[in-house]
Amino acid sequence: MIEAYVGEYASGKSEMAINRALELKSEGRQVTLVDLDTVEPFYTLRPIKERLEQEGLDVIGLSSSDSFGLGETGAMLVPAARWALRRAGDIILDIGYGVYGARTLNLVEGAETSDELRVIAVINYSRPMTGSKSRIIEYINELGRVDALVANTHLGDETTPEIIEKGTRVILECADELGIPVDYIAVENRFAKEWNPDLFSVPVKWITRYMPAAIW
Amino acid sequence: MLKVVDETKKAFLTGNETIAWAALAAGADIMFGYPITPQNEVMHYWTRLAPRYGREFLQTEDEISAGFTVCGAVQAGKKAFTATAGPGNVLMQEPFGMAEAMRLPLFAIIQQRGGPSSGTVIYSQQEVALTTYGGNGEGYRIVYSSASHQEIYDYTIKGFNMAWKYRWPTFLLGDGYQAKMREPLEMYDPEEKGIKIEPTYPLVGLPGKIGEDREPQHLCNIYSLEEELYDVVMKLSAEYESIAPEIIEWQEHHCEDADIIILTHGIVSRAADDAVKALRAQGIKAGYFRPITLRPYPAQQLRDAIAKSGAKTLLVAESSYGQFERLTKQEIYGETIKMEHLYMPGVGIIDYDIISKVKSVL
Amino acid sequence: MITPAVPKSWYLPTKPHKFCPGCGHGIVLKALGEVIDELEIQDQTIFGCDIGCSLLSWDFFACDSTQTHHGRTIPVMVGIKRSRPELITIGYMGDGGGYSIGSQHLLNSAVRNEKVTLILVNNTNYGMTGGQMAPTTLPGQKTETSPYGRDPETTGYPTKGPEFLAEVTSEGAYVARATVSKYKQLKRFLKNALRNQIEGNGFSFVEVLSTCPTNWRTNAQQTWHFLEDEMEPYFPVGELKSPFSKGGDK
Repeated sequence: MIEAYVGEYASGKSEMAINRALELKSEGRQVTLVDLDTVEPFYTLRPIKERLEQEGLDVIGLSSSDSFGLGETGAMLVPAARWALRRAGDIILDIGYGVYGARTLNLVEGAETSDELRVIAVINYSRPMTGSKSRIIEYINELGRVDALVANTHLGDETTPEIIEKGTRVILECADELGIPVDYIAVENRFAKEWNPDLFSVPVKWITRYMPAAIW
Repeated sequence: MLKVVDETKKAFLTGNETIAWAALAAGADIMFGYPITPQNEVMHYWTRLAPRYGREFLQTEDEISAGFTVCGAVQAGKKAFTATAGPGNVLMQEPFGMAEAMRLPLFAIIQQRGGPSSGTVIYSQQEVALTTYGGNGEGYRIVYSSASHQEIYDYTIKGFNMAWKYRWPTFLLGDGYQAKMREPLEMYDPEEKGIKIEPTYPLVGLPGKIGEDREPQHLCNIYSLEEELYDVVMKLSAEYESIAPEIIEWQEHHCEDADIIILTHGIVSRAADDAVKALRAQGIKAGYFRPITLRPYPAQQLRDAIAKSGAKTLLVAESSYGQFERLTKQEIYGETIKMEHLYMPGVGIIDYDIISKVKSVL
Repeated sequence: MITPAVPKSWYLPTKPHKFCPGCGHGIVLKALGEVIDELEIQDQTIFGCDIGCSLLSWDFFACDSTQTHHGRTIPVMVGIKRSRPELITIGYMGDGGGYSIGSQHLLNSAVRNEKVTLILVNNTNYGMTGGQMAPTTLPGQKTETSPYGRDPETTGYPTKGPEFLAEVTSEGAYVARATVSKYKQLKRFLKNALRNQIEGNGFSFVEVLSTCPTNWRTNAQQTWHFLEDEMEPYFPVGELKSPFSKGGDK
């Protein structure tokens, strides 16, 4: 299984990548999570790398302590990331934002010839750049290759089921229009009681938010 | 013109991105900027969005140039701004000084990073002295220190308005954490909220034939005689002081009966707010005071809070080594309240840090 | 075990270095290290680096080194050279540091024929801050601050540093442009630039065309294609001014 999470800045790429990697891990699979955030390394996997490793994931990327002493942003690519696809087991790639969109995958050897790779765009309807149907469609078209979407509408601490529902509805309409499947709707597990999983025909994935702990 | 925010709604944004959207909503015409972390996404989002709304951008050769091109653009009557941090803020003191001297409605966002020198690209509150009193002048500036993304949005819009209403260089003082953090805020069209957008007007390139319809404009900031400059500075001072009461903003709560007042600004005030709640729950009478404007400083309001509370201690907490405390001391000279401080230069402060400090000094 | 041949002047405790895979800085610094070894100047060399990716070289060499501010490496090196002419000063910077924020220092140190050696790495973007437009960004090239491609109408054409420095420098100056795709030539130009300082002839400058796959978002093949087929035709490689050869080395 090789999945690359792409999308708008702060759309939830890292969150989806972590949750997906841990889900696969819990099924007893071998999983490598790769940090490919290169446009300034804030809110990346760095501060929580060690915690994720304790959960049994192989994580390719710098940890905050690795970047100690590098000076400035230390916005560098870890050499091992380039060869991530040569690893055994499942590979989850967390692709940073930027004007080149999914083209960041060029940095990973073998990405263009891999027939296992799926490029998944994470969309949060509460992000202004993807805050309407036309903006979402325009944005996905700019991204380059996209094989599937994840509907990840939330407002941080102020998320409500109504907000998730409204965003999901719009994202599903866009997916329909673009002819791209939606893999799942990401819903924070604190809504487990309130959220009706049958509201939409797309499966729900219950997620835990790790990234609020990951500033710098 | 295409509307920037067509519907008032909550959105999930980073701080830098919030600035770009708020500047668009405020009707900013042009941004001049130079890459420096942690403000880069202000430029990234402005350059992505500006063409859609007919706005302009120029990446200049450095921050000196970014500051002076803003000085030029506002003289030409355009709503112009820039954003910078750390060493870039140092370089911009030269154009900021010109804006003070010539009353130019310049607006700049400062996302503080660690110092001195290149320091870190991450976070600090070490640009307080530079942003309030930098340059070879008297600090004729309006400086808002924001604490949330909603405030970043609100005070970016307000910052442009205040710059053009009063014509003093105006600053939004944020920091690297606020730049990168993501949280919900309400995006709105200012005019729909009843916020009047101050009109812009040129200072040079005025209509009419010179000698017939109007006199030529001769703007200058250098004087040959001491007395000339003296008159200019005294006039600037009088004008700044006369409008200061209209500009000053602050927040306070739980000061009525406080034994200790916790004084913070910017993002640290979020920790102070949590700390006061926790201390109160433990039966410790803590109060909260936060200048929103660091310049002009709410000095009388702080003196009043000290007086009415009868507090014995004022605890200053800042992510710098005493810049904010020094600013406060000069403003409330003569108060006899005991001052304590928590200096954590270049690192974040959480409620726990403040609570521990309060307990150690009470 | 085979020990890779690394220059004696490299500082081994900081190796492997921290540049991204595919980055050209490592090639430039290897050539520079070999030249320092061959000229036997390690003990009198002062290496100064700028802000930006070039700063990752601040502890790269076993030479006395100093890291400065963005764009300010040139005046710091000039200050050292003017104070201690027997030292060999090497200022190392990127295209943003040299052609943008430090351009006044570059121009004026060249005009004054300061006897320093400056190495400027041109990778067509600001790498460390996340890939913004640089003075050397090619027309149409996308960056984080030219998201729709660089438009020469509003931002001008890429800066050709060696060409303007060749114009403003006087007798004794050395000005060249090298590329990481031609290693032997790169090394020869760096050596000439240092020899020129050692002999006290004048200002020495080498621009090096380099690669930035991380911010170009290119794989190995695309990276090399961009360097050789996009950059090199735009920025011709060769010696533009040299006290050592009349007419220059193309």
